[in-house]
Amino acid sequence: MSNKAVLIGEFRKFFKFLIQEMKPRGKWLTPFNIISIPIILLGLVILFFRFTKGLGSVTNLSQQFPWGFWIGFDVVTGVAFAGGAYIITFVVYVMRVEKYHSIVRVTVLNGLLAYIFYAGALVLDLGRPWHIINPIIGNSFGYNSVLFLVSWHFLLYMIAEFVEFSPVIAEWAHWEKVRKFVSALTLGAVIFGITLSMLHQSGLGALFLMAKPKIHPLWYSEFIPILFFVSSIFAGLSMIIFEGIISHKVFKDLIGEKSHYSYEEIILGLGKGAAIAMFVYYFFKALIFIHEKQWVLINDFWGYWYLVEVIGFVLIPCFMFAYAVRNRSIGIIKIASVLALIGIILNRLNISVIAFNWDVANKYYPSWQEIVVTLMVVFSEIWAFRWIATRMPVFSKEN
Amino acid sequence: MNRRNFIRTTATISIAALPLGKLNAQENKEKKEFVGVLVDTTRCLGCRLCEVACSEEHGNYVPDVKNDHALEKIRDTSEKQWTVVNRFETKNGEVFVKRQCMHCWQPACTAACLTNAMFKTKEGPITWDGDKCMGCRYCMVSCPFDIPKFEYNKWNPKIQKCNMCYERLQEGKKPACVQACPKDALLFGIKRELMEVARHRVYSYPDKYVHKIYGEHEVGGTGWLYLSAVPFEQIGFRTDLGTTPYPEYTKEFLFSVPLVLFGVPALLFGLNLLTDRKNELNKNERWENE
Amino acid sequence: MEFYYYVNIFETKGLEYLLLICFLVLFILMVRYISTSDKKKS
Repeated sequence: MSNKAVLIGEFRKFFKFLIQEMKPRGKWLTPFNIISIPIILLGLVILFFRFTKGLGSVTNLSQQFPWGFWIGFDVVTGVAFAGGAYIITFVVYVMRVEKYHSIVRVTVLNGLLAYIFYAGALVLDLGRPWHIINPIIGNSFGYNSVLFLVSWHFLLYMIAEFVEFSPVIAEWAHWEKVRKFVSALTLGAVIFGITLSMLHQSGLGALFLMAKPKIHPLWYSEFIPILFFVSSIFAGLSMIIFEGIISHKVFKDLIGEKSHYSYEEIILGLGKGAAIAMFVYYFFKALIFIHEKQWVLINDFWGYWYLVEVIGFVLIPCFMFAYAVRNRSIGIIKIASVLALIGIILNRLNISVIAFNWDVANKYYPSWQEIVVTLMVVFSEIWAFRWIATRMPVFSKEN
Repeated sequence: MNRRNFIRTTATISIAALPLGKLNAQENKEKKEFVGVLVDTTRCLGCRLCEVACSEEHGNYVPDVKNDHALEKIRDTSEKQWTVVNRFETKNGEVFVKRQCMHCWQPACTAACLTNAMFKTKEGPITWDGDKCMGCRYCMVSCPFDIPKFEYNKWNPKIQKCNMCYERLQEGKKPACVQACPKDALLFGIKRELMEVARHRVYSYPDKYVHKIYGEHEVGGTGWLYLSAVPFEQIGFRTDLGTTPYPEYTKEFLFSVPLVLFGVPALLFGLNLLTDRKNELNKNERWENE
Repeated sequence: MEFYYYVNIFETKGLEYLLLICFLVLFILMVRYISTSDKKKS
C-alpha cells in the first residue's frame, strides 16, 4: 500500500519535472527558429497531401525512378552521416582511448536522433506504411531480402543506441539506480551496435546490387557493400567534426572545460582518422576501376562526373585532412570535412538517383515538396537535438 | 539374442523407421513443373486482343484498340495495363512484341521483397499480396525488366503487374491473353515442353528465325519465352542482362551476415579485454616502480 | 546466335597487384607524413 503511494508520488514528481522541462527556454525569435518553423509547418501540409492523395501528388517519382530524394538523401546519406556514433563508441569503449570520451555522449545522441529521423523518413516514402510492422512480426519474414536485413538492423541499432544514451537520460531524471543498471549495459550495447553498423552500412549499398543493369557501370560494382562501409567511416568522422564546430559555437556556455584534452586535439585526431580512411577508400575505388577496366568509360559526361566525385571530393579532402593534421590547422580541417560530406552526398545520390537509369529520357529530379519535406526532417532533428542538449548532461564526460 | 543379432535388428528397425521413402514420395508429389508462355513474334499481327482480355480479366483499364492509335509509339506496361503490344519497324517489316512480366525462374522481385508480398508460386507465376506489401518499391528497383508498376496517385497504392492469371491457372484454364490470341502467337505450357516446341520451330525454319530463344537463359531463365525473326535488340529487348539469376548478386552479402554477427562481437570483446589487460599491466608496473 | 569464347576474368590481376604495391608505399609515406608533426609540436 505504502509502496504504491510512494510510486505514485514519484511518478507525479517526475511528471511535473517533465512538464517543466517541456517549456521552451531562451529567446524565441532566433534566426534558426524563423527559418525552421515555417518550413516544418509547410512540410506537415505537404505530408497531409502525400498521405491522402498518394506519393505522386507531391513527389516526382515515376515508374522508372521508384526511389528518389527521400530514400537517396534522407535514408541512404543520412545513415552514412550517422556512422560517427559507432566509430567513436568503438574508440572509446572498446579500445578505451580516453581522449575522445568527452564527445561520446553528443555523438551517440546525434547518431540516435539521425536514425530516428532519417531512417524514420523511410516511413514517409512507403506506399503502404501501415504494413511496416509486417517484416518485424507475423508470417511475412522475407529473409531473402537485403531490405529485410537493413530494416531489422535499423530497429535493433536504434535500441542499442538508446541503451548507450540512456545513462544520460537517467542522470537527467535523477534515477540513480536506473543509471547504474543501464551504465553496466553500455559495453554490450556498444559491441552489438558496432556489429550492426558494419552490416547495415554495407547493407545499404547491397540494396543496389540487384539494380545491376540500371546503375551506370562506373558506380556499380559487386563491392558496393564494402565501399559503403568504408566510406561511412570517414562520413561519420567528418560529420562529427562538422557538428562539433557548429555546436561549439551554438552551445558555447554548455560546454565546460572539463576535458583535459583540448577540443583542438580531438578535432585533429578525428581528421587524422578521416584522412587515412579516405586514402584507403580512394585505393578501393582505384582497384575497382582497374578490375572492371573502367577506363573505356571515362571519356564522356558520366566519366568526368565520376572523376569529380572521386578526385574532387575524396582525394582532395583526403590530402587536405593530411595537410591540416600536419600543420595543425583547424580551418583547413573544417573545409575538408565539408568537402568530404559533399563527396558522400554525391556518392550516395549518384548510386541511388543520378546515375540510376542514367540513359533514360525522363530523368528524375526532386520536386520542391520533396526538398521541403527533407528540410523538415533535418530541422526537426535539430529541434530535438537542441531540446535534449539544453536539458540533459550531453556535453559532459562523467559516465 | 546375441549381440550381433541385436545390432542387426536394431539397425533394420531404425532404418525402416527413417522416413526416407516417405520423403521421396512427397518430393515427387510436390514437384510441379513451372509453366510459361511461348511468344512467337513472327505470328503476332498486333490486334491487341490480349491487352483487352488481360484488362477485362483483372478489372484494369480496357483500351479501345480500334481507335486509340496506341501502336504509334513504344509503350511500357503501366499501373493500368499489365500487358502491352508494341510495334517495331525492322528490315523484315513490322514486328509486334507483347510485353508483360517475364516470370523469372529466380526472380529479383521476390528476393527483394522483405514481406514476401511478391511470391513465386510453385506453379511458376509470381503473384503480389496486398495484405503483406508495405510499398517500399524495392521490387521495382531490382526487377531487370522494370515490370512492377506502382500507383503513385492513390493513398492506398498497389503494385501492379502480370500474375499470369494465377486464378485461372488454379481452375485449370489458360491465361486470358493466351486464350484470346487468334493467331496462336501465344502458346501456354510447361517450360520444358515449350522449349522443345521453340527449338523445333527454329530448326524447321532456320532462315525464318534468329537462332536464339529469349528467356531460355536470360537472368537465369524466364517463364515467358520469345521467338523472333530479327535480333532481339531491335525489338525492344535488353540483351545485356546476363544469365546470372539476380538473387545471386546479393547472395554473398546475405551469407556473410551471420558470419559477421558470429565473429565481430567476439573480436570486439577480445580487443576490449586486451586493452583492459594493458591498462592493468601499466598500473602494476608503475606500482612496482614506485 | 550465342557465341562461345574464352574470357580471362583475371586479366587485370597483374595491374591490381601493382596498384597494391603502390598503395602500400604511399600509405607508409602518408602515415609518416601525418604522424611526424604531432611529435614535433606536442
